[in-house]
Amino acid sequence: MTWHTWRQHRNQAYFGAAALVAFTVLLLITGLQMASQYHSVLAACSAATSNCGSLADLTLGSPPVIFLVILTLVVPALLGVFWGAPLVARELETGTSQFAWMQSVTRRHWLAVKTGWILLAAAAWAGAVSALVTWWSSPENALKHQNFRPGQFDVQGIVPVGYALFAVALGIMAGTLVRRTLPALAITLGAFAALRVLIAYFVRPHYLAPITTITSLTSHAGPAGSYWSLALGNVDPNGQMLASNGLSNYLGYGHESITIPSVCREVFGGQQPGRAAEKLASCLSAHGYRGFITYQPASRYWPFQGIETGIFVILAAALIAVTAIVLKRRDA
Amino acid sequence: MIACQDAAHPVIETRGLSKRYRGVTALSEATITVPEGRISALVGPNGAGKTTLLRLLGGLANPSGGDVTVLGGTPRQDPAFLASIGFLPQGIPLYRRFTATDHIGAGAHLNPRWDAASVRQRLKSLDIPLGQAAGTLSGGQRAQLALALTLAKRPRLLLLDEPVAALDPLARRHFLATLAEAVAADGLTVVLSSHLVADLERICDHLILLAASRVQLCGDIDTLLAEHQVLVGPRKDTTAIEKAHTLVQAVRTARQTTLLIRLGGPAIDPAFETADVGFEELVLGYMGQAATPATSHLTTVGEGQ
Repeated sequence: MTWHTWRQHRNQAYFGAAALVAFTVLLLITGLQMASQYHSVLAACSAATSNCGSLADLTLGSPPVIFLVILTLVVPALLGVFWGAPLVARELETGTSQFAWMQSVTRRHWLAVKTGWILLAAAAWAGAVSALVTWWSSPENALKHQNFRPGQFDVQGIVPVGYALFAVALGIMAGTLVRRTLPALAITLGAFAALRVLIAYFVRPHYLAPITTITSLTSHAGPAGSYWSLALGNVDPNGQMLASNGLSNYLGYGHESITIPSVCREVFGGQQPGRAAEKLASCLSAHGYRGFITYQPASRYWPFQGIETGIFVILAAALIAVTAIVLKRRDA
Repeated sequence: MIACQDAAHPVIETRGLSKRYRGVTALSEATITVPEGRISALVGPNGAGKTTLLRLLGGLANPSGGDVTVLGGTPRQDPAFLASIGFLPQGIPLYRRFTATDHIGAGAHLNPRWDAASVRQRLKSLDIPLGQAAGTLSGGQRAQLALALTLAKRPRLLLLDEPVAALDPLARRHFLATLAEAVAADGLTVVLSSHLVADLERICDHLILLAASRVQLCGDIDTLLAEHQVLVGPRKDTTAIEKAHTLVQAVRTARQTTLLIRLGGPAIDPAFETADVGFEELVLGYMGQAATPATSHLTTVGEGQ
């Protein structure tokens, strides 16, 4: 079966390898540039010892490459659509499954070998892309501490491997159930995107109970490192939390905007709110207001990566098991 | 309905075998036996259940009812069973981009017994290129390649579902010659479905006739032919004949009555001339008998005159 699988999918393998090589070359060149740029600015900063504005203002990478890196978000979906969905569906569609199933191999063995290799290839491919993106993003991660946020969390570390395994397994199952490539492809894309959004926005924040810290409104110090902010806002003198961003809704905080006591409203005067922010903060502070932030600390980045990868790997295994049962029981 | 349960060494034996697809009956109460070493012709109108029967025998479909025994066991997902069956499905599925050599290689990796040399030799003798993608071969070449691959498994039972349907007469003749040669050499059992009765008559010695999802006739062809007779006589009442024998088909014109009967005894009305029945006549007679009322009037032309 291994020989058979290789002969059937070797063109896909060549194409995948070529695309990976091109991507690697691009990220290596731009990544090395960014790293040296970052390190030279960092060196200049520590030499100057003064407040290092140039480091905060530093923008790394050119927009097309940044865009390409963001685009790696769809790599698992593409693998599911182009490798997973046709794997069984195309054979059922063209009848070649009947050729394969009347050789001396059981359908379960046939599925196991094909699925095994394609999942392995998808994991390797997605893992390679993710490793490159993670390395490429390291100066940016060190500078901006944003890699725990949705969008960046999803393309770095080990989660892309979990997504890829799940997407390919989903494609294989959809193809087996609907027996045709094109609908299987659409189902894979739709179901994968829906589940990813559902988990990223509604399940992931709760893997571990978030931490809420009360802060002073006048200091700018937030949690250390690459934390993931889930909600922030003000605490009024009665201890009532008034969150100011959307996620707070389901985290259980009220969602009205900050109510400002009338004394402090005058601070705005005719001025722009941005200019008045400092004055407003000290006014609110003086009237007993404080700030709060609800977040997942930076130390939980890898536990979260592990939990999310685990969820998708378990789901992928379940989908493959269902596919095997369907193929065994159903008429060929 | 005539069931055949007469074989000493049956390769195929079914009892009351039925298959329904979402409430539609594809095969109903099929009881057949195919003895070892026979080439069985599986005939019947479109939708009679031929493909369903072959798929049940090969284990590609699961029965809704009844029993099926093939080579001493139930058709199943088991390498040893699969290795002993050669199945050539309708439409001859091959991998379009695989060459003959690729298919031979695939077979070698997927089967415990694999006679690659025989495939190469067969293809060479038929001038079929080994290095050309199967999708670019002609229909006849594809059928020959598929047959050669099926034979290379060295199966004990060969199930062929309309393998010659898409072939021109010459390619058909070559295909059947290849098949007959292989059968003579290896002594394997074959069930071959086709609409081309003349082709089947040349190479088959056993018949399974399906119509309206039921087995109408099954058995050794020579025996079946000997059991049937055509009576040609004047237009007259045939109740006595119908009582003594089994009437399969009656064609009545203003002047003449032609009856196809299965003999129930020696007594034949002297007013009728008797003739031996031909294979094609027998097959068409039973297919006509099982036809729906909408088309059965064709066999009783002029009855109302």
